[in-house]
Amino acid sequence: MSDNSRKDTLRLLAQFSTIGMTVAFSIFIGVGIGYYLDHKVFAGRTSPWLTLIFLGLGVGAAFKNLYDMASRKDL
Amino acid sequence: MEHPILFISLILQNLGLPVPHGPVGDTLLAKLVSPHMTYTWLVMLFLIIVPKLTLGKMSLVPGKGQNFWEVIIGGLEGFMADNMGKEGARMMFPMLATFALYILVANMIGLMPGFMSPTSNLNITLACTLIVFFTTHILGVKFHGAGYIKHFLGPIPWLIPLMLPIELISHFARILSLSIRLFGNIMAKETLLGILFMLAGAYFAPLPILCLGVFVSIVQALVFLLLSILYFSAAMEHAH
Repeated sequence: MSDNSRKDTLRLLAQFSTIGMTVAFSIFIGVGIGYYLDHKVFAGRTSPWLTLIFLGLGVGAAFKNLYDMASRKDL
Repeated sequence: MEHPILFISLILQNLGLPVPHGPVGDTLLAKLVSPHMTYTWLVMLFLIIVPKLTLGKMSLVPGKGQNFWEVIIGGLEGFMADNMGKEGARMMFPMLATFALYILVANMIGLMPGFMSPTSNLNITLACTLIVFFTTHILGVKFHGAGYIKHFLGPIPWLIPLMLPIELISHFARILSLSIRLFGNIMAKETLLGILFMLAGAYFAPLPILCLGVFVSIVQALVFLLLSILYFSAAMEHAH
C-alpha cells in the first residue's frame, strides 16, 4: 500500500512538474511561428498581426494544457 | 573560469586531432571528436562492455552479476507495465530501456572529475527528444491509421480551426520542455560543480553538490522515461 502510493506520488510529481515549462514554451512557440510567418513567409507585409494571432493561440495552448491537467478523472 | 580538463579530449588532442575548444567544432572531424560525442561513445562502450563482463554465462539460478541486471531490467519493465500496460511495455521496452540506461549513465558520468555528461549538451538531449517525438506520432498512425488526426481536432466540430493550431503548438512545446529540462538540469549540475571545484575544491566544497548531483541524475532519467511513456500511451489510446 505505502509502496504503491509512493510510486503514484512520483508519477504525479513528474507529470505536474511539467506545467510551468509547458506554459512558457507554448507561448514562445506560438510567438515563434507567428514571427516566422510574418517576417520570412510574408516578408513583413502582415507585420504585427500574425505574431499577435499566434501569440493568442500559444496562450490558448498553454491554458488548454492547464485545463486538461485540472480536469483529470484519475486523481 | 578555468577550462575543465577532459581526459578523452586531452588524449585525442595529443594524437593530433582537432578537438574544438568550444562546445561544437567547425569541420566534420572536429564535430566528431568534440567532447559530448566522445563521451557519448564512452557511455555506449560502458553500456555494451560492462554487462557483457558482469553477466557471465546466463544460468537458471542467477549469480551475482546476473541478479543485478535482472533487478534493473525487471524493475524497468514493471515500471513501464504499470504506466502503459503489458502489451505496450513489451513493444516499446527495447527503446525506452535504452533511453533510461543511457541517460542515467550519461548523467552520472559527469560526477567524476575528468569526465563530462554528454547530456549537458543540448544537441544530445534534443536528439533523444526528437526520436521520442517522431516515435509518438508513428505509433499513433500505426494504431489509429488516418483516424489519428482526431487526436488533434478536439471534441467539437466547429472549434476545429481553433483547436488544430492549439494542439499542434502544445505538441511542439513537448519537444522543447522534454529536451530543455534534461539539458538544463544536467548543465546546471556540471557548471556548479566546475565553479565550486575552482573556488574551493581543496576544502571539499563540491561534496554536497555531488550528492545532489546523484539525486538529480536519477530523477531526470526517471522523468524522461516517465514522460516518454505517457506520450506513447496517450498516442496509443483512443481520442476522447
